[in-house]
Amino acid sequence: MLKVIQLDKTYGSNKHSLQSVNFTAQPGEVTAIIGPSGAGKTTILRSINQLIRDDSGQILLDDTDIRQANPAELRKIRHHIGMIFQNYNLISPLTALENVLHGRLGAKSTLAGMFGLYSNEEKQEALELLDEVGLKDYAYQRCDQLSGGQQQRVGIARALMQHPKMILCDEPIASLDPKSTKIVMDILRRLAKEKQLIIMINLHQVDIAMDYTDHIIGINSGMIVFEGATSTVDDQVLQQIYRQADPQAVTANEN
Amino acid sequence: MIENSQSKPNMMRPTAPTSNHISLVTTPRKILCGVLAGLAIITIYSLATLDNANLNISDAFKSLGTNLNAMFLHPTVGQDSWSLLLHALLTSVALAMLTTILGAIIAFFIAVGAARNLAPTWLATTIKSVMAFIRAIPTILWVLIYSAVMGLGASAAVVGLTFHSVAYLVKAYSESIEETSSDTIEALKASGVGFWAIIFQAVLPSIIPALLSWTFIRFEINFANAVAVGAAAGADDIGYYLFMAGNFYFNFHEVGLIVYLLLGVAIILEVVSMHLRSHYLDHN
Repeated sequence: MLKVIQLDKTYGSNKHSLQSVNFTAQPGEVTAIIGPSGAGKTTILRSINQLIRDDSGQILLDDTDIRQANPAELRKIRHHIGMIFQNYNLISPLTALENVLHGRLGAKSTLAGMFGLYSNEEKQEALELLDEVGLKDYAYQRCDQLSGGQQQRVGIARALMQHPKMILCDEPIASLDPKSTKIVMDILRRLAKEKQLIIMINLHQVDIAMDYTDHIIGINSGMIVFEGATSTVDDQVLQQIYRQADPQAVTANEN
Repeated sequence: MIENSQSKPNMMRPTAPTSNHISLVTTPRKILCGVLAGLAIITIYSLATLDNANLNISDAFKSLGTNLNAMFLHPTVGQDSWSLLLHALLTSVALAMLTTILGAIIAFFIAVGAARNLAPTWLATTIKSVMAFIRAIPTILWVLIYSAVMGLGASAAVVGLTFHSVAYLVKAYSESIEETSSDTIEALKASGVGFWAIIFQAVLPSIIPALLSWTFIRFEINFANAVAVGAAAGADDIGYYLFMAGNFYFNFHEVGLIVYLLLGVAIILEVVSMHLRSHYLDHN
């Protein structure tokens, strides 16, 4: 279980980007963070694995406070947190299989990591994971020759290769067409149930959040304005989440 | 208040013309015109005050023709043997190859420290400034400096050439490294991957085409430098025989032959590099 308590983050002098953020996310559930652009969705997600350092608060993953970890412990914790990105962030000249294997680099010694020495079982597992996301035939394809949806699925397989407790998804479908969006969201929802993962997704698309997630966190101006089951979200709640949204800021960040 | 909704400071925006008279002549353009005019004046002045030292133009051209004829239409081996010259040529190629490979390996590790997306800014800036300083001094001078330290000979040539190659390649490599997207690096960092694994598994595969291409260009430069350096440091390579034939024995026939040999190697290098490029590098 992921438990975030009283998370605070200020940029510059007194601009709050996160203010007393509290929420919990359960294994086996897909949790969406929604809200207007600039509200702090990405800041929350990146605070969880400390890509962004926050000012105060607690982030408890199975009762370990990630914020208190020293660099070596943080690397270990990060190894069990998968992350997928809007732009996939694969190493494009490498094959899909090699990119999936990168999920194991965090568990390796410096030398084995440098030279990319993988055991046969690891290669076998990587192939199985590619099969799980429907890309077994593309194992030896260079990643820059795959479509966006396929690259995102390679990204998911790479995250699974880490044997994660949790997967963080930063706008995973913002660059995808509707068909790929459906495939990717279906996979994420299935994985949460089958492997009992905590899955957290930043989303711009409210309709996708309503269709595919179990739990919704609504955020506005760095504060949580709604937290609850997706089934309890109605128009009034959405209006509350998106209130005061500056239309210019939204369009500027949407692409 | 939402962060994005605040208007951006507009200090970078050029101010719109206010008066009725709208001029298209901006300050950068004025500076450019000024510099060009200055250079033109210097050129005219130096041409007008040229000291021709009572040179007879027609005689000068005639002896130039004789010398060129001797060099390029009647090349011979001169007082050295074919095997000696070919061996010396091979020495030059070996010198270029050795210094390029040594330089490339050393430069890669330094470049990691000089890339702004991997290293802290103070370290990157320091390394880049030191390398810029080393690069600003020509290779030949470094070889002469090392000759003074280590004595004339091949070792001074190797160290001097490597030294300058490192400075050159660090700049090229670190700029290639900076072009790899910080997002892909962040993706691996987020999964707990260590620094050197990121370098060798993520950064290196992305920039190998650029690295190979820079390294090969440096190899060509090093070959040209090896010839020049051979004469200066007495490294017993083709440059040394070129220097002896031209400045000591005045054997222009041999100079011509050596120039043809160098030209041959340069053409071979060019063909190899084109081949490499089309077959291995341009597959992106």
